[in-house]
Order: sequence, then C-alpha cells, then structure tokens
Amino acid sequence: MTQPEAAFFTVDHGTATTAAALFGRLGGRWRLLAAGAVPAGIGTEVLLADLADRARSAEASLLPDDASWENWTRLESTTAPPPPIVLAATSERSLAVLEPAFADAGWRISAHATPDRLDAIAVTEALLAPDLRAVALGAGSADRGALSDLAAVVAAAVARRNDVRVLLCGEAAVAATWFPPAQVTQLPGPDDRSSSGGGALLEIAERLAGEPWSRAGAQPERSARGRAEYRRAVASLAVVLDLRLDGIDIGAAAGARVLAGPAGVERFMVRAEAALLPAPAPDGRDEEQLIDEVVSWSPVRDDGQTVRDRVRNLRLAPWRDAAGDGARLRLAAARAALVRLETAWSAGSPGAGTRGAGAAGSPGTERPAGPVLGASASPDMLVASGGVFAVGPPPVVALALIDAVRRPGAVALVLDHARALAPLGSLEDEADRRRLLADLADDLLLPLGGAILAGGLRPGRKAHLRVESEGASSETILTPGTVQVVDLPPGLLGSVEIFAPDDLWVGVRAKRVRFEMAGGLGGLLVDTRGIPLRLPQHPERRREALDAWQRPLWTAVDA
Amino acid sequence: MAAAAVDGRGRLMPTDLPARVVARQFAELEPRAWFRLGAGDAPLVEVGDRVDPDSPILNRLRHPSVAEAGVRDAAAPEPGARFEAGEALAGRGRGALHFDGPGRVLYRTPGNRLRAAVARHREVILSPVAGVVEAVGRGGVEIRCEGIGLRAAFAVGDPSHGSLVIVVDGPDAEMPPTRVDVRGAGAVLVAGARVDVETITRARAIGVRGMIVGGMIGKDLRDMAASLARQEAALHASPPFTLVVLDGYGKRAIPEAHWECLVAAAGSDVGLCADPPMVILDAGQTISSRRPGRVRVTGGEWLGRSGSMVEHLGLRRRPGGLFMDCAYVALAGAPGGAQAQVVEVALADLEQDA
Repeated sequence: MTQPEAAFFTVDHGTATTAAALFGRLGGRWRLLAAGAVPAGIGTEVLLADLADRARSAEASLLPDDASWENWTRLESTTAPPPPIVLAATSERSLAVLEPAFADAGWRISAHATPDRLDAIAVTEALLAPDLRAVALGAGSADRGALSDLAAVVAAAVARRNDVRVLLCGEAAVAATWFPPAQVTQLPGPDDRSSSGGGALLEIAERLAGEPWSRAGAQPERSARGRAEYRRAVASLAVVLDLRLDGIDIGAAAGARVLAGPAGVERFMVRAEAALLPAPAPDGRDEEQLIDEVVSWSPVRDDGQTVRDRVRNLRLAPWRDAAGDGARLRLAAARAALVRLETAWSAGSPGAGTRGAGAAGSPGTERPAGPVLGASASPDMLVASGGVFAVGPPPVVALALIDAVRRPGAVALVLDHARALAPLGSLEDEADRRRLLADLADDLLLPLGGAILAGGLRPGRKAHLRVESEGASSETILTPGTVQVVDLPPGLLGSVEIFAPDDLWVGVRAKRVRFEMAGGLGGLLVDTRGIPLRLPQHPERRREALDAWQRPLWTAVDA
Repeated sequence: MAAAAVDGRGRLMPTDLPARVVARQFAELEPRAWFRLGAGDAPLVEVGDRVDPDSPILNRLRHPSVAEAGVRDAAAPEPGARFEAGEALAGRGRGALHFDGPGRVLYRTPGNRLRAAVARHREVILSPVAGVVEAVGRGGVEIRCEGIGLRAAFAVGDPSHGSLVIVVDGPDAEMPPTRVDVRGAGAVLVAGARVDVETITRARAIGVRGMIVGGMIGKDLRDMAASLARQEAALHASPPFTLVVLDGYGKRAIPEAHWECLVAAAGSDVGLCADPPMVILDAGQTISSRRPGRVRVTGGEWLGRSGSMVEHLGLRRRPGGLFMDCAYVALAGAPGGAQAQVVEVALADLEQDA
C-alpha cells in the first residue's frame, strides 16, 4: 500500500471536554482513522498524540510517513459558556421580542427590566456583575416615552463599567447620548424583527455572542464560534445528503439546534437553558427545579439525596463518574436538556405545539413530559451531537432522543460520535466542506437506528407491524404505551408497514402506513407511547415506567 | 518503582500517562480574593491599601430598598456617591435633599428625581486575610492575599477567619454534632468528609467562624443557606461564618493534598473566602509538594482513595457498556481500614495535583 499524502485533525474545544478526530486519505477519499475525547483540562496535544499513536499502531501505512503529527492540519472549533446580558425594554411587548432574539442567539439573560417592574437595585447589581458582557436596551415606536427613565438607570451603572457593551435596539438609538460612544452598538429593534424567527436582530445578536471579550486585566478570550460552525456543517451536510436534517447539540454550557435542508438553513437557535445542567435563570427555573427535571427522567433507584447530589456534581466536573448509573443519570440530564431545547424551539415554531398544549392542559394523573413539534417541521434525519451522548450504547441514546423529541412519523437517528461536524464547519469554503463531508458522512454519522413514533393507538387496541428486509419478513403486534425494538442492522434497508384498527398519527392520519427505513446499531424503535409522552406523576411509578422502557436496552450491554 | 512491584509484572508506568489525568491546582500562591459590592455597598479601601485580618474593607447595606427624592434644579451627587442618614445631598436648610438612612445614589431620573439604595443599617465587612488591595470598583474589591490559597469546589457565607482546628480523625471521617464544643468559638473547624446542618447550626451558635469539609449534601446546603438568610433578616448581625466545601456534593473525603496542608496548618490563623472558594493559609506554611504519579479517585466505587498509577490499560468496557480509557491504580491503605489494593479505574475518574 502506498503511503497517503496527507492527514488532518479536527478538534472540538468544548467547555467540559475536548474531542478530536484524525482523518487520512485512503483509496482516493478521506476516512476517519481515530477519535477520542478528554476532559477539557487535559492538553490537546496529549489527545492528538494518542490518536496518531493509535492509528499508527493499528496500521502505520494509513498515515503519511515523513511528517510528524504536530505538522498535520488542524480544523478547530471552540464553544464557550453563553455570555451574560441584561435586557431592558420600554414595555413588556418590546421585552417579549428582545428576549427570544437574544436567548435564541446564545446569550444568557441575567436580568430583565421594564418600567413596570423596574427594581433599580437588582438591575444595578446585575449591571455591575463582573462577568457581564452586554446590556441591551430596546424600545418600540409605540413605547419610546418610557425610554429616558430606563436609560438613566442603565447609564448610571454603565458609567462604572467600560468593558460592557451597550446594545441599543430600534428606537432606543435615541438614548445613545447617555452612553460612551465607544461602548455603543446600534441594532435593529423589536419592530424590525421578522415573524419567521430569523431577522436582523437575531443575526447580529448571534454574531456578537460569539465575539471574543476582553475583560480588564484578563487575557482576551478565544473567539467561540463553535455553534455557528456546527450550523454551517449541518447545512452543508444537508446538501450533500440531499436530506432535511435536524441537528441537535447538547453541551455542558448550552444547547444548539439547527434545521437545514438542501435549500439551506431553515432555523437555528442556541439556548443557554438547554445546557446539560444550566445555571438558574431570573424569573425561571431555580437550582432545585433544574435538578427535579433531571431526576424526573432518572430510572436510577437510589436514595433521593444521593441521586440529586450526583446530578449537582455533573456541573462541577461533567466527565467524572460516567459509567454505570452515572451514564443513566447523564442521559436523564440529556433528556431534560432536550426537552428544554424542544420547548424553546416549539415556542417559536409557527403552528407547532398546539397538540402538545392541548394535552398539557388535559386533566388526569399523568402529565406530558415534553412538547410536540408540528408535523410540518418533520426532518428526514436527526443528527445528535455532544459529549453526553457518548456515555450510552446506541439503542439507549436513540431512546433518549425520541423520549424528548416527540415527532410523529419516521426519522433516522444518527450521532456525530467524533464531534467533528463543528470543526468541519470552520472551513470557510462551502465547496471544501461539501467535498469533505461527502467523503466522511458515512464515517462521521454513527447510525443509531430508525424510529417510528405512532400516536393514537388506543388502549386495548393492537396494531400489526411488518418489516421486510432482504427477502426476510417479520411481523409483530404493537400495543399502546410501549417501545418495541426490531432488529434492523446498520447498512440494511427495510420496508416497514403498520396496520392499525383506527387512525394512527404518524405525521398523517392513516390506518395503514408504510416507511422505508435504514437500519442502525439500535435497530428500529417503534414507539406507541403517545405524543406527547405522558409520564406518571408519582415519582416511583414514573421511575418504574422509565426503567421498564430503558432496562431492555441497557440489559443488552450490561450482560 | 514501587508501583511496579504491586502488580508483580514489572511493568512501569508509561511516562506520558500522567498527562492523561486531569491536573487540579490545589494550591495557589498569593491568590486573589473578590468581595462583591452590592448596589448600595461602599468600599472602605483604595487600590494599594494594605489590609490585615479584620481590617474593614467595605460597608454593606442590610436589606436596601429604593428611595427617591426630588432634586429640582440643584446639582445632585453622581451615581455611586455614598451618603449617611440625614446628610444633605443637595440644597440647603429645610429644603435640603436627604435620605433617612445611609446608602448610595443609584441614578437621577430625567424628571429630576434622585433614586438611591437606602437601608436602616449598614454593616462592615472585614477582611479575612492579610494582603494588598488590587482593584476597587466595577462591583467589588479585589485583594491579593499574602498566603497560600487552597482551592475549593464551592463555599457559602460571609468571609471569615480563625484558628484552624482539626476535629476529625481522618479526611474521610464525619463530624458528629457532639464534637462541637465551646473550645471551637472563634475557630475554623476541619470537619472531615461531610457535615450536616444540625452540626453547622450548633457550631454557629457557639461562635465557630467557619468549617472546612470535603463534601456537603445538597439538601443540607440549602437548609444552611435558608438559615443564613433568616439570620441576616434579624436585627442584630451575627458573626460571619463560612462553609468551604473542598471537593463536591455528597460525602467526599478531604483530598489528600488538602488534608496534609490543613493538618500542618492546625493552630494557625486561616482565612475563608467564597469568591473564589478557598482556604487561605499563612504564607510561611509549607505545602505538600507535588508527587508525580500520585492520583486521587474522584468518582465511582473508589471515590476519595489515593494511590499511584501502575499501568495504562487503554479502552476498557465499563458498567453500562461504555468504553473508557482506564489504568490500574495501586490504592494506598487508609487508617479507617481500607486495604491497599490494585484496581481498574477510568482515567476520567482520576485527578492529580498540578
């Protein structure tokens, strides 16, 4: 075998862990040779040396012979904790527009202020917080009158801070004279934001969130554009695969989501609250509620306080204690984060959530565990990213995804297991990205499996599932409230038919539906648990229900 | 190498193995401590000032509220200006602008109203350490401490200091409430692997100034925070108390390196800070030197035990089907009965001193 001419690394510098992958050119195309991750405190060079050693020891001819690994190209991507911002708006209406724009752009909102609920002490203290990055002052054309009072309190605190950026949105631009010109940036206002959820304000807010910040006396931060690069990579991948992709990245500091199709990015958001265990938010969830959310997804039977302390320790050192019950707790935290991300996503999705909202308000002993995305937003493939998904076997990760993202119909579930998408998104040239992704898509996307979420199967009624693949056929009876796993290995295509006595909800309503599904490591998951998922209110019954769904999937790997 | 003899196979630890284990900087020379200023608080020091333990560093308003008064055309003080109760801020005589309590000007509205953070009472926050003021303003006072800071996971309470007293037999022991007695008044107690809220309440009642523990149950921490808040609401302020948790939530042994430093510092005065969370030892204190290859288990079955890495195992299947980079670790025996043994531990569950 001739020695390849080149190799390169991708490095994803996360807030909790660093992931890297090594690629070499073999047989005229790029291939993944090795991948790994280490806690963020460990030097990147150690990880890269390890990957090079592993690839060399497996097959030395895979790597260039005359170059040391230190000289190989690196595509690097960095994410950082969402920067804190104080939002001040002249009316609740303006605040209601500013807040999702900055929250969706990856800012962490540390305080709000409007004339109706202006706590001058709380706002001043929030503005004096050492880590504060910016304050946004917004006004619509109808409520400019209240601007001067609000600008006065903000300006008084900003006068003591020369490192805080003042973002004047829309009509608030007239307050520019209150602030040092060097600190002011003018942005589009609440009235300018398009109803589609894009909009100039969102775009600029997102760009500002990724800019490096230099605090007085401290080293300037690195530019942290990892989440924007992830979006770019998913968009390029959608073109390469000619599919509509739903990219979900759950990180230790924030969660990101991108919906992209062959025509480009349809929607994108970065949410601080979708972190694995986010910081408590003003007017939002406190620490105990955040832990309750994780515990409510946990199948672990243990002393309640012990479980809660293990969850708290996740925030201190997310890489520790990852095996056994640690993995179950991490995936419980991932489910809670996915639900928060899904809730934020659905809130801004036109026409979405109406079914979920109706179910949430219905009486009974059960409550919906998450919202539901409208069928109009159904993608072909869900691409999961983030170190948290590395702790579970593929079927369990697949179940975690469909537990939280309740979308009726069929979807392929894949995992960006080498966390290489964001670094590949750092390539500026779209053609280069597409060429690389065309070569690497099979290596980068671990096929977790396929999933069919079918709602509407009534208690006492049964449906029939028939799967045909490569001339073989199997038939199973579907009962409501279950997750059934059908063996459909990676690389195989299967024809899946469901016959039901009543209309099923699988994106469309029908008694008989047929899907073409690709196999995966977790096989095919057929979920008849209802949309949205309802979990028992009683903690022990809820834990038992979660355990009953998860145990068969864990048992296979625990054996 | 002793570790090689433990597993009996004569293998030496790969030289690059320590680089694959998270290094925790447990001690820092001349650490910076930060004391936050609320909107109505006022610094009592300036940059370059030298402070000693119990030097006043800032005035804190207790339960401030917003008060406002008209300033008409008079020149009003700038935002951030301090004032005392009844002090004339603008104008003269009976028409002079003043507030009923001490406080700090927040801002002046366009309608010529002066708004200020005002309280009935002010308390003086004292420095827990000796050092030099590095920065004042932007919401706080920063002091470069003369001493060695032992890093902690988190801390709650106001800064304090006191004579260090070890009240447990070992780093993994728990402190029962009965070990708190009047001899602890004014002291900082090293309380082992965890302490409960009952013990803390009792300690605070007799005037203990702080406690240092390896871990803390989250519920106890919440109860303690509520208790501190209730006491703050009382008319008379209680002496400052700080709880410093060195390793995390739950029951967690005090890390070996921290324990050795604390034992060596017993009897001397130590400062406790919450931001960043740390214990500040006297500058003359000797701290244990870093021991290459020595690691501490921070998660899983062997939590809290220390030992030496013996051999890198590479990827190993762990409970739950997860493949993790692992090593054999020769765990040292412990006075509590734990025996020396060689165990397989994931590298992610190990920590070494930086």
